[in-house]
Amino acid sequence: MKAKFSEYLNSAAPSLKKLIRMLKEKYDYVSILSTDSDGFRMMVSQRSKSVTSGTMMTERGSVVRVCRDGLYSEYAFNSFDPDRIGETYDEICRQLDAQCELLKATGSKVYKTDVLDDEPLTLFAEMETGSLPEETDLSALMEKLSALSDRGMTLGEHVIDCRVIAQSTHVNKMFLTANRDLRQSYVYSEGNIGAIVMKDGHNEMSFQGVSGRKGPEIFDGFEAVLKEAVDTAEELLTAEKVVPGEYEIIASPEVSGLIAHEAFGHGVEMDMFVKNRALGKEYIDHRVGSDLVTMHEGALCAEAVASYAFDDEGTPAGDVTEIDHGILKTGICDALSAKRLGTVPTGNGKRENFEHKVYTRMTNTIFDSGTDTLEDMIASVKYGYLLKGMQSGMEDPKHWGIQCIVERGYEIKDGKLTGKVVAPLVMTGYVPDLLGSVSMCSSDREVFGCGGCGKGHKEWVKVSDGGPYLKAKARLG
Amino acid sequence: MLEKIIELLKKADTDGWTVTDTVTEGWEFYFIRHDLDQNRVRNTEHIIVNVYKKFQDGKYLGNASGEIAPTASEKEAEKIINDLISRAVLVKNPVYTLNPKAVSECGGEIPDVKMIAKDFIEAMQEVRETETEDINSYEIFVNSCRRRFLSSEGTDVTFVYPSSMIEAVVNARKDGHEIELYRMYRSGTCAKEDLVNDLQATLKAGCDRLEAKNTPSLNTMPVVFSSDAALKIYEYFIDRMNAGYKYQGISNWEIGKPVAEDMQGDRVTVDIVRQLANSSMNFDFDGEGAPVRECTLIRDGIAQNFYGNRQFSQYLGLKESSNAYNFVVTGGSKTEEELRSGSYLELVEFSDFQVSPFNGDIAGEIRLGYYHDGGKVTVISGGSVSGSMRDYAKNMHMSLQQRQYNNFVIPAFTRLENVRITGAE
Repeated sequence: MKAKFSEYLNSAAPSLKKLIRMLKEKYDYVSILSTDSDGFRMMVSQRSKSVTSGTMMTERGSVVRVCRDGLYSEYAFNSFDPDRIGETYDEICRQLDAQCELLKATGSKVYKTDVLDDEPLTLFAEMETGSLPEETDLSALMEKLSALSDRGMTLGEHVIDCRVIAQSTHVNKMFLTANRDLRQSYVYSEGNIGAIVMKDGHNEMSFQGVSGRKGPEIFDGFEAVLKEAVDTAEELLTAEKVVPGEYEIIASPEVSGLIAHEAFGHGVEMDMFVKNRALGKEYIDHRVGSDLVTMHEGALCAEAVASYAFDDEGTPAGDVTEIDHGILKTGICDALSAKRLGTVPTGNGKRENFEHKVYTRMTNTIFDSGTDTLEDMIASVKYGYLLKGMQSGMEDPKHWGIQCIVERGYEIKDGKLTGKVVAPLVMTGYVPDLLGSVSMCSSDREVFGCGGCGKGHKEWVKVSDGGPYLKAKARLG
Repeated sequence: MLEKIIELLKKADTDGWTVTDTVTEGWEFYFIRHDLDQNRVRNTEHIIVNVYKKFQDGKYLGNASGEIAPTASEKEAEKIINDLISRAVLVKNPVYTLNPKAVSECGGEIPDVKMIAKDFIEAMQEVRETETEDINSYEIFVNSCRRRFLSSEGTDVTFVYPSSMIEAVVNARKDGHEIELYRMYRSGTCAKEDLVNDLQATLKAGCDRLEAKNTPSLNTMPVVFSSDAALKIYEYFIDRMNAGYKYQGISNWEIGKPVAEDMQGDRVTVDIVRQLANSSMNFDFDGEGAPVRECTLIRDGIAQNFYGNRQFSQYLGLKESSNAYNFVVTGGSKTEEELRSGSYLELVEFSDFQVSPFNGDIAGEIRLGYYHDGGKVTVISGGSVSGSMRDYAKNMHMSLQQRQYNNFVIPAFTRLENVRITGAE
């Protein structure tokens, strides 16, 4: 079925277009992004339950972007009244003019940027989904999640709770300018099972997730990951600490995705090129990884939670080959940064929501597959670890450091898994060294889309990442 | 719109409701070097409705929450409320009561976003830069917020508050090599002098990072935390005193019992306070309309009081409780000099230092530190720290001197012993 586009946005469009025409009298460029995204989030544990309508992407509001004399300004609001367009126009002008007066009073100069292109473009995308969050039988879903939680309690000796979270969002976005009218509607869903175990006063928790640009039907996938969540949590109770040092590692697809995201996801966000905050700018067409490393980024390179038809600046979605057989080819770029750098936008201009500024952001960031089997990869390791479960990561585009917090590692000695588990693991290193050490890639790959991505320590957006199993060398602590 | 929603809620078939209405005027300025990249205004109203329904003879109380946009029609608002009611009966939680009636009218002055923003811009212009150390970019966020909380119990409280944040990146360079350091400051209004002084110190730290060597393989070392990274250490203690963590089994701490085994060093004392100078979290009432309760969470390493929302607090049998926003950790027994004794690592910058409130595990890649070894000081970078607060809390020392980071006052220096260090050599 199609994800039907928002009636509210359709009804607001004529008035918003009128507002654009009025603002165009005063400004060199005017666009409006309007959103109307609804959803639900349901949580079930043995001790409490909750239901809310809010997810990371639920919102309703608009943001006007204008440009005058090279200065871009924005006004975000959510009280638009179609019968009072004149008042909205006056308030936008009054507030932005007041800001300009302050800038003049403080002697601030403007970083001037050319006017954005506004070639005519029309797009109406209602994407396929198996079901819609607004039509979901939440009573049945609550029963399903409760049953999963109950069953999780029986699967391990030390389980004290089993928390199941399911959330689904119907995203509606409309981008308007004098010449553009883009409208898209799609559904993404995500969920996770968190098994909590306790032994001798020591807690551990392990998550297994499901996600996709799909409807709530995706929660049928919980069945397949429930046992793994419990088994993993139980394993963590007896896990040892790793002896700090450099090891041969095999990154599971989830950990490969984390590496992709932190290494040359953030590392080639080109708004950082504008500020000279990314080393990648100087390494285009240079080697940054082994021949086995090829990496794609874009809303079109997978069908996952971050796969849209156009970004928050009205640029159609793309698929960029960032690294081709170890050679850094290009980055990803929002429209304003592209104008400043003299390049083209790649469909990666994203906002946390209508209230936030656009930055260059990732969508789906994925390593290409290779030809090896996981069995051959394990057999090739003299002493090292198979890394599974991603907890968090942090980028460092300026210095190419990388921090990946990995849930657990399975010891490999002389080509065999020994059964010993170490946890948690702090994987660090110099990005080109890490990617340069990639010596084997499996032929399969997976994409993961649970959780979010920040820029520095704020601006949270949905992304997905993934890849195949990768064999490399890394420092573990 | 708010009045319409209240009217609808009064007519609806609920066993209680709450509404939080937050109106924000935000001014934002984004600079590349000192040139304005973009200016932004946020003018928004968010109305969050929470409805409650009792079922199975009042044994259970379910609730469901959602936002009603100011642009919603009356019909749309009514549908949202009815949907919430039908969702609330799915939420089978043991019964609890809503906070009793409280009434408070808006007391403070409405923050002037223009003046606060002006202070930030001027502060950034006052930072003394050189040819080799300068400001790369900064983003200024200033919000004036008015929040009104209403409930079916008759509560109607309104308060206004400023909330500001500035993110700054500084560069230092030498012989063609350039590094950056990242800072994020949160506050009520602009603490101009503190901001300028801290950024000045950051520029100096940037020079140090240019000289950094790879962190040696030290196995374990005492570590002195002298920056905001230490907040994560104290958040571990605070989070584990949260009623929700306790009720859900994540925290196994008990009132009257120590929060760590065999404590040999300084013992942690943490208080909740309602007001802290220039905190962005100076709220008299919490998000559920309860007066913020000032109390001691942990005294001398012994758990004293849990805190948290109405639901979990009642499940734990707490007579008085509220959510909390400002925290003061009492200073320890040591001077800075005493904490800096022997060989140790002083760690000031991490990629993202984390302490899990769940199991106490710590983790962070080192971006800048100082290895003090027998009078010799080496600037270091790379590698990581790991281990667990379950072990480190046994022998933790704190400076008497304190320092404020927005809504936290914590010891200015915190020393943990035998911290696991992974080198970068």
